[in-house]
Amino acid sequence: MSALALRNLTLGYDRRPAVHHLEGAFADRELNAVVGPNGSGKSTLLKGLAGDLRPLSGSIDLGGLSRRDIAYLPQDSGVVRGFPMTLEGLVSLGLWSRRGLFGRITGEDRDRISAAFASVGLTGLEGRSLDEVSGGQLQRALFARVLVQDARLVLLDEPFAALDARTAADLIGLIRRWPAEGRTVVIVSHDLELVRALCPQTLLLARQAVAWGKTAEVLTPANLERAEHLSEAWAEGAGPCHQDEHPHHGHAA
Amino acid sequence: MSAGPVEILALRSAAAGALALAFGGAPLGVLLAARRMSLSGDAMSHAILPGVAIGYLLAPNNPLALTLGALIAAFVIAGAASLLSRLKTIPEDGAFAAVYLPAFALGILLIGRQADPEAVHELLFGSAGAFDRDALILAASAATASLVALALFVRGFLGEGADPVFMRSSGAPGLALHLVFMGLVALNLVAGFHAFGAMMTVALMMIPAVSARFWARGFVGQAGVAVLISALASGAGLAIAALTKVEPGAVMTLSAAALFAASAVAGPRGGLLQSLPGRPHLEG
Repeated sequence: MSALALRNLTLGYDRRPAVHHLEGAFADRELNAVVGPNGSGKSTLLKGLAGDLRPLSGSIDLGGLSRRDIAYLPQDSGVVRGFPMTLEGLVSLGLWSRRGLFGRITGEDRDRISAAFASVGLTGLEGRSLDEVSGGQLQRALFARVLVQDARLVLLDEPFAALDARTAADLIGLIRRWPAEGRTVVIVSHDLELVRALCPQTLLLARQAVAWGKTAEVLTPANLERAEHLSEAWAEGAGPCHQDEHPHHGHAA
Repeated sequence: MSAGPVEILALRSAAAGALALAFGGAPLGVLLAARRMSLSGDAMSHAILPGVAIGYLLAPNNPLALTLGALIAAFVIAGAASLLSRLKTIPEDGAFAAVYLPAFALGILLIGRQADPEAVHELLFGSAGAFDRDALILAASAATASLVALALFVRGFLGEGADPVFMRSSGAPGLALHLVFMGLVALNLVAGFHAFGAMMTVALMMIPAVSARFWARGFVGQAGVAVLISALASGAGLAIAALTKVEPGAVMTLSAAALFAASAVAGPRGGLLQSLPGRPHLEG
């Protein structure tokens, strides 16, 4: 069963498409990459998958998952560093989908939070405030929050940008374990070497799907060149496109 | 100089009211400051003017009419600014500016030729004698509502403040929480404006809140320090005002400013003394 399928999906802003006519499915319980040139619609697609952006046309089939089953880590996390909150407070926000506004935090929840801190190597820093930690430590904490969410679908937008090698390696090690834990992961990345090493499945975007399938078959020189060409040829002011255009089909569900 | 029984009673009432406002308003000020909305309270203090003006025109000598008018105006302005900012085209402070400046202008037009100068002076700067039984009940109610709402919704308020993007993607009721929060700010503002003036009430909400950042790390710590500073500033300001026969709101604000200056110098979290050269960078 596929966890996540796109049905002739077009996403955009102010009724102008940013990425269009996507058709296909992400591999279930697998590490999926979304790659493409700058401005190719990668982050827009992730916003759509997270429910932050409504489709202009087509649809997203979450395969029975609800919004509470999704963890989304955008490139710009939006964390307000000067806010008077500790790292523990930030990580415990991951309980929101389960506990909501009024639910009691249980001992089991506290154990989960402690385990998440241990998994990302932040044990002992729970009481640090948000403005007292480095960018890498904050990113580790955001990964800990994803663990606390215990989401089935994890959406990560450039999760390793601006991280030091040690932090990136630690977090990559964490992500590698997620498919075995039953999670489907979609990672937006511009680092093709990392994608080749980490993700068995890849969607190559250039405002449309250029190729979608096994990473080795997608990231070919010909496909990458075509993606660059399509991206450069895109007219920024393009209006809504018509339904009779041929949608590109991704790999079979 | 000695005060008579009437003055002492008025001073006691004002002190009780100020203490209630400290408990109700200062924690809200901490959240406003942390969300970089420090000037939103100031904007709201201007925006209540048309409500006060309409209340004054309908019932010139009725404090309840002024209070209701102010409360309705504050809620309308807070709601309109919050909804505008959700359009994402303009930031929250821009939305407040777009809403409160016309409201203030409308208030000036409405009240300009109708009110006597003394009434306008009291609105802006307050009068400690205005803390009668009804005003005390309103201040206590505002404090109670604020503390109860903070206890109930603290998870949502903190989440929305620290990571609004995450909260939105988690399906949190962001707009509803924001409206409740701004409604509490409005309620505390209105509860204080009779006695201390609208703008001075904002000062007692915000100055202790920003001072607290020099002393405490988390929200609970900062809220506690802010309440303490607000109470101290109010007590000192009221005492000085009673002795020197000046408006209490302004003296309370200056007292709070003095405590802010002390915090900025001596506070252990980023105070001036902490950043002096020559301090050892290793401890223990």
